[in-house]
Amino acid sequence: MPRFLHTADWQIGKLFGQFDADEAALLAEERFAAVERLAQLAAVHGVDAVLVAGDVFDAQTVAERSIHRLFHAMSGFSGRWLLLPGNHDAALAESVWTRAARLNAIPPEVTVCLRPEPVLLEAAGTAVLPAPLTQRNTHADLTDWFAAAATPPGFVRIGLAHGSVQGILAEDIDSPNPIAAGCAESARLDYLALGDWHGTRQIDARTWYAGTPETDRFRANDSGQALLVDIAAPGALPAVTTVATGRYRWRELAAELQVGSDLDLLAERLAAFGPADVLRLEVAGRCDLAGHRRLEEAIAQARGRARSLAADLSALLLTPTAEDIEALAVDGYLGEVVAELQAAQQAADPDAAQTARDALVLLAGLLDARGPVAGGRP
Amino acid sequence: MKLTRIRIEQFRQFRAPLEIRDLASGLNLFTGPNEAGKSTVVAAIRAAFFERHRSGTVDHLRPWSDPAAAPTVELDFELGGQPCRLAKTFLAKKRCTLQIGREALDGEEAENRLAELLGFQHAGRGASKAEHWGIPGLLWIEQGTGHELREAVAHATDHLRSALDASLGEVAASGGDELLATVEARRNELLTEAGRRARGVYKEALEREAALAAELADLDETIARYRQRVDALAALRREHAADEAEQPWQDFRAREREAAERLDAVRGLETALAAERQRAEQVGRRTALLRDQLAAAEREELARAGRAAAEEEARRLLAATAEPAAQWQARLGEAERALEAARAVLSRARRHDARTRLAREAEESVRLRDAAAARLKEAETAQASLLDLQRQAAASAIPPSELKELREQARDLAEVEIRRSAAATRIRYALQAGASLRLDGEMLAGEGERELPAAAALELPGLGRLEIVPGGRDLAELDARARDLADRQAALLARLGLASPEAAEARVLDHARQQNLLVGAQATLKALALQGVDALRAEQAVLAAQADTATQALAELPAAEEGAERPPTVGQAEAAERAAAESLAAIQADLQQARLNEAGARSRLEAAVREHAAARASCEAPERAGRLAAARSELTDTRAEEATLAARMGDLQQQIAAARPDILQQDVARYRASADELEKRYRSRRDELMRLEVELQTEGAQGQDERRAELARDHAQARRRAAELSRRAQALDLLLTLLRDKRRALTRRLQAPLQKHLNRYLQLLFPQASLEIDEDLAPGPLTRGAESGDFDALSFGAREQMGVIARLAYADLLAEAGRPTLIILDDALVHSDAERLAQMKRVLFDAATRHQILLFTCHPADWRDLGVAARSLEALRAG
Repeated sequence: MPRFLHTADWQIGKLFGQFDADEAALLAEERFAAVERLAQLAAVHGVDAVLVAGDVFDAQTVAERSIHRLFHAMSGFSGRWLLLPGNHDAALAESVWTRAARLNAIPPEVTVCLRPEPVLLEAAGTAVLPAPLTQRNTHADLTDWFAAAATPPGFVRIGLAHGSVQGILAEDIDSPNPIAAGCAESARLDYLALGDWHGTRQIDARTWYAGTPETDRFRANDSGQALLVDIAAPGALPAVTTVATGRYRWRELAAELQVGSDLDLLAERLAAFGPADVLRLEVAGRCDLAGHRRLEEAIAQARGRARSLAADLSALLLTPTAEDIEALAVDGYLGEVVAELQAAQQAADPDAAQTARDALVLLAGLLDARGPVAGGRP
Repeated sequence: MKLTRIRIEQFRQFRAPLEIRDLASGLNLFTGPNEAGKSTVVAAIRAAFFERHRSGTVDHLRPWSDPAAAPTVELDFELGGQPCRLAKTFLAKKRCTLQIGREALDGEEAENRLAELLGFQHAGRGASKAEHWGIPGLLWIEQGTGHELREAVAHATDHLRSALDASLGEVAASGGDELLATVEARRNELLTEAGRRARGVYKEALEREAALAAELADLDETIARYRQRVDALAALRREHAADEAEQPWQDFRAREREAAERLDAVRGLETALAAERQRAEQVGRRTALLRDQLAAAEREELARAGRAAAEEEARRLLAATAEPAAQWQARLGEAERALEAARAVLSRARRHDARTRLAREAEESVRLRDAAAARLKEAETAQASLLDLQRQAAASAIPPSELKELREQARDLAEVEIRRSAAATRIRYALQAGASLRLDGEMLAGEGERELPAAAALELPGLGRLEIVPGGRDLAELDARARDLADRQAALLARLGLASPEAAEARVLDHARQQNLLVGAQATLKALALQGVDALRAEQAVLAAQADTATQALAELPAAEEGAERPPTVGQAEAAERAAAESLAAIQADLQQARLNEAGARSRLEAAVREHAAARASCEAPERAGRLAAARSELTDTRAEEATLAARMGDLQQQIAAARPDILQQDVARYRASADELEKRYRSRRDELMRLEVELQTEGAQGQDERRAELARDHAQARRRAAELSRRAQALDLLLTLLRDKRRALTRRLQAPLQKHLNRYLQLLFPQASLEIDEDLAPGPLTRGAESGDFDALSFGAREQMGVIARLAYADLLAEAGRPTLIILDDALVHSDAERLAQMKRVLFDAATRHQILLFTCHPADWRDLGVAARSLEALRAG
């Protein structure tokens, strides 16, 4: 009974510019670790082959070191690996694959499917039909040849492709690298292993996107997993199991502060995040200076615990209260400045409003830092 | 605040106690000359407030040379409605007590309370300085510092502000200025003060962002190029593979070969044609040769006939030329004879001509000889008369020097005579008719005059005799000179052989006339004999000799031919002789020509005879006929062969033209070039492929995509940092602007009451003037009418006046805020003129209704109209 580990979109060589340098380095590093985990899973589950459905590399000209590291990371599983060139690492005349071959980096158990021709896994009684991309983007369906491809009788037929299944993903209409819906059916495939969609997704009974094994964006539902595929016999429906492979959880958090307890709730949620979390926080609504101080403290603490936390408070309106003013010992013309800045936060021009808000936070910070006014009034 | 009593003891010049009591609540005027102690009283008040009683730096308060002194100041005053007493002793007995109402304070506590109440500070260490004096420093004007306002105001600003705050019921924002300074400093770290341009870390961040963006753009371009070339590589590979499979150049090579073969075939035809053409040429040449031979035979026949005719003609010509030669020979004899006769006539004419000419020459030379003899005779006569004249002239000449001497003697003599006459005594007489006198024997009658050069006797008839002696002294000398001159003249005349000077003059005239005659005689002689008489004589001799020669020659000639007719002239005879000679020569020439013609005709005849014989011999050779027959037959054969060859060549040419060898040649070249081109392209594509592969491999190994990802990451980070700093800079800028605006607005509000008080006084001093107040509450520019000037630019006197009224305004302000005010003016306003001083007195009087004022002056007269009694310090000291 053939068993495969289906994965895709490793995006080796991807860096994360939106993060600070150290965080970005860790996230990039984790992609190699994810491959190591895949190799380990493959070994543990004793799969016949690991099918990688495209975008192994994030770019064609990655550093030589990255190429060696990748294949080294795969060494934990000594069985067959089938790698498919995707749109990021298409099998061009000169590509990451030709380089890897020149560097003698590709171990014998790894097969790079550079041409649309069946790869026979004799031991598993399986024929794999790959649809490698030989251009960066194509508008032809590269799986067309599957239907006419002859495979040895009694062999399981598995398709391996990278692209967008037509008609399923609304936003991918007219997208490049199309794959006809119902391809598995029409090409008499037992299973169609797809890549390109970073979240795990089932398209039909025999067609799945594996998703990326390590999450790399905030909007990628159900990523950080691979699929364990068991096919009892040719023609049988595949049994597909998801296995977790990701380390970091990418979370988007939006909070609206209107009343004091909103902030308490947010602080609690922030306190719950740990080192595996990559967070993006957007706070809107309004709060007073004391609340703002608390929010900043909570964010600072969460930043210490989480892998990364990017906070956007630009939609938050600061409304200093009389107590704030009293606490900051704001009097005289400083009081007027505070009032004016508060009003300016609601300016029509978002930039001006932002500047006013920043100025108010700065002023509060300065006032807070000087502590109680020495001597007070004479 | 109101001082009521001042007591000073052991304080500088006041060793003995001085007490001033009953100080008025308004103006208090203290007068005294210099050194009377006015400034010491002021110093005592200041010391009591400003100096710590424990201070070790107040030795100047001690009276001179009294080390044990304990300077003491006691002040009674009212403060906030409560009676107060301050007693302070320095140096020897350090003590300070303050009584406020019922509250008693001691030592430092007392001093601190006082400072807080009055608005000043104590020095931390050492003597109190202006910066500590606060409000009193402003209101107590020391001698000569009334005009120095700004510094005093600066030291009092904080106290003034708090006073204003109190009066306005507002706050100036606690620590607002420090905050503003902080914000400004932080803003200026990021932005330039003036231009709001980025600086420092902000600028660095912007530059880093821009640099990374540029680098990223470069790299993007590189990557795009790389990708294009990868695509190009794929295209090249496809083309290369297609070429390798098809090898399109092979087809062209085959076509080239085919064309070359056809071209070879045509070349064979061309070779055959050339051979035929060569044969045709040989045959043609043989035909021409045969034709030439036959033509030559014909020409020989014609030539023999021609030679026969020519011989006949030559014979006829010879006969024609022999006849004229004989005729010319006969005529030649006649002509020779005519010439002989002409020559005889010419000889006779020449002899006749010579004789005639010689006779004429002899006659002429005889005539010349006779004429010369006559002229010689005349010249000899003229020469004799000239010599005679010369002799006479020499005899009548007087040498010029002697003539000159003679003339000078005559002149001198005349002069001496005149002088004698002048010196002589004159006698004029007019005698009656019939009467006469006798002078030295001479009878005088009628009227007249006589000179008497020497003594004379005048006999007066009937009366006796008068002896007259001239009185002139020179007369004797003149006499002597006259005599001397007369002697010398007589001697000279004697030497010259003359009777008198008049005779001398006559001889001079005579000599001149003789000279004229001599010149005439010389001219006559010269006209007769230019070269002299001797030359004339020699010429005459020559002419005589010539005449003899000519006469003799004529005599020796043969006698003339008698009876013969007169011969023609030589010219005629010569012309006749020349004509005869020419006629002879012409006949000789014609004869010669006739003989030549005859000889020529004869030789031509001989040649014609020879040629005719030769031609005849040639035509009559025995083998000639056989040869000609053979040639004719051969000619027929060659003509036939020529026709055959022409037909064959035409055929060949037609075949060659149909095959178009030029086009075939082009085809070969074209197919070869096409194949070469395709193969070349194939090879260069192969090279290009290899090159591109190597390049792309090399470039790909640089990991540009990953590098780009890194750059993009760095750029995103740099952009974030720049954005953060930009936000911060804008926020700080906004904050600073706002803080400044609000603070300025507040300051304006604070200034208003001060302005009000200031204007009240200012109107008294300068009507229509206004004084601005700056942020630090110090007076700014003063505007009077159209002109405006800074306070510091005013005259010394005006500044002092402005200083006083500003201080009064501050005092009003403080009073309104319920602060104590006491104004002390030590010798103030000494630089004011009478008019301004009068205005200032009105000002002071007005101020005194609200404040206590202590005014010290050494000019009591100036302040007499202040409306208060002056207190003399001297009187106070006296007790």
